[in-house]
Amino acid sequence: MPLIEIKGASKGYGHNGSRSEVLKNINLSVEEGEFVVIVGYSGSGKSTLINLISGLVKPDAGEALIEGRKITEPGPDRGLVFQNYSLLPWLTVEENIALAVDEVFKEWTPKQRKEHVAKHIAMVKLSHAAHKLPKELSGGMRQRVSVARTLAMNPKVLLMDEPLSALDALTRATLQDEISEIWQSNKTTVIWITNDPDEAILVADKVIPLLPTAPATLGEPMLIDLERPRDRRSINHDPKFKKLRTQLITTLLDAKGRTKSKATMKLTLPDILPEDITNKNALPFLNRGGPKRRNADKREEVEVTA
Amino acid sequence: MHPLIQKYKLDSIFLPLVAIVITCVFWYAIAGKSVVTEKVDDFGDKVKITKREGLSADLPTPVETWTASKPYIVEPFAKRGELDQGILRFTWMSLVLVAQGYLIALVIGTPVGFFLGLSKQFTKAFDPIIQVLRPVSPLAWLPLGMILFSGVKIVNADGRTTFGASDAAALFTIAICAMWPTVMNTAVGVRAVPVDYLNVAKVLKLSKWKTLWKVLVPATLPYMFTGFRLSLGIAWLVIVAVEMLTGRPGVGGFLWQQYNANSYAHIILCILTIGVIGYVLDRLMSVVEGRFKTA
Ligand SMILES: Nc1ncnc2c1ncn2[C@@H]1O[C@H](COP(=O)(O)OP(=O)(O)OP(=O)(O)O)[C@@H](O)[C@H]1O
Ligand SMILES: [Mg+2]
Repeated sequence: MPLIEIKGASKGYGHNGSRSEVLKNINLSVEEGEFVVIVGYSGSGKSTLINLISGLVKPDAGEALIEGRKITEPGPDRGLVFQNYSLLPWLTVEENIALAVDEVFKEWTPKQRKEHVAKHIAMVKLSHAAHKLPKELSGGMRQRVSVARTLAMNPKVLLMDEPLSALDALTRATLQDEISEIWQSNKTTVIWITNDPDEAILVADKVIPLLPTAPATLGEPMLIDLERPRDRRSINHDPKFKKLRTQLITTLLDAKGRTKSKATMKLTLPDILPEDITNKNALPFLNRGGPKRRNADKREEVEVTA
Repeated sequence: MHPLIQKYKLDSIFLPLVAIVITCVFWYAIAGKSVVTEKVDDFGDKVKITKREGLSADLPTPVETWTASKPYIVEPFAKRGELDQGILRFTWMSLVLVAQGYLIALVIGTPVGFFLGLSKQFTKAFDPIIQVLRPVSPLAWLPLGMILFSGVKIVNADGRTTFGASDAAALFTIAICAMWPTVMNTAVGVRAVPVDYLNVAKVLKLSKWKTLWKVLVPATLPYMFTGFRLSLGIAWLVIVAVEMLTGRPGVGGFLWQQYNANSYAHIILCILTIGVIGYVLDRLMSVVEGRFKTA
């Protein structure tokens, strides 16, 4: 029996008039110990999909199962790493993790719980920052705390909703490696959501594209049979990696059909936005802008016409 | 001197001083001045007649105000009689009453705010009542308080009433007027708790109680303290009206009694004291409030 199963689930938001279907006919099955990555466009319903499993979202049709039991509400057996970390800002690193541990392991002695918390802080290399508040940490450190908090609950499955999307490329690479390492040492089942095809292939056993049809559906799973540990420098030249990558991107692009589509890919764009000179009205001091910078926008999006 | 420090001194010391001087000059200009004229009366004697003249003849000048107020300021804690005490003594009495009423306001207002924030039905049910009661003036509440608590009478060993209907009415008025900012801000704060935090509570399966204390209350604290600060301002505003109507000793009571005694300089002293104390209270509260601003 698979650990996690979704059968014919669909989900939409809103009521009659303004209703929009987000997911349709989702079927997914994840075996124990598997590392599954779901890749999809921004806004295509990835968070909605993972929240069907976490229990924060209920499907309109179909069902989500864990070990054959229907998922009706969130629970500590499904550890969720939130897209935006969601640490409680008034608690220190240690307290944030302790909040989870104290709740899940009520029967343990306080000493046991304390050690468990310390162990997980050390696992994500944050022992030196255990007594800091989230606002004193960098984005990467916050995400590590979030991962540690989730791992400390000893969940049956680790659900990660774009855990690294808000981070810069270098930090992202480091954390990809760190999380892969942690996974290899304890082999928890992982379902990881991302919008980055490279990241997907680098960390996954199995990649499933979330096809941006409206409403979105899951595509054919791709098995990633690359050797572990994967070295990110050499893997770029691995023909197998290149082939998988091309295949994945093509699947995603094709799904958008001939319509104009948007893909989130790593492309470097010039850091200047064109100036609008059409609107020269009577109050020049109002739009004395000069060139504007693009870097406020973290995702570098490029319009691709298929 | 460093130019920045110079600028700071100019902005925060020199400019306010200028404004104070201008205000005092304006005050002096409109205030009444004593004019002494000599006159021969019907019996042929020369008498001196002091008359006050000016735009607002009865308004004392700044100097007169200072001279008349000096005993109250220099000996702020003196007690010369029940209605003749140092200004800080009166202020202290008012502050004690305000503190009691304010505490009642917080103790009732905060939970009400939480209920409003948490439950849509509760909001729907009580919002109309709250919106109607909110703008009612303290002058209107006090008589109602008198009626409500007309039976209250706590007597001490010597048979003197230590806490009577007017005391209860005073507390009631302060509490009910000061409560609203706390109620409203707490409710807004609870509704503004980010969904993410609530999701964390759900995923960790925190109990209702733990969700309240570990997530809801800390997330609402900044809003609550804004409410607390505004409530304190109102409580202090209400005190004068309450003391005037009930005749309790305190700054407000003193003010009213001095008006009836034609000691107009003391009225100005009271107004300034009330203003300064109100300002200090507000500053203190915003320091506390700043502490609870989370990232
Ligand atoms: N609670 C909600 N109410 C209404 N619409 C929602 C809600 N949650 C999501 N949606 C809509 O559903 C669609 C998919 O949202 P979702 O958050 O699942 O996307 P996503 O793939 O996770 O996006 P991102 O990459 O930006 O995280 C969006 O169009 C969004 O507007
Ligand atoms: Mg998302």
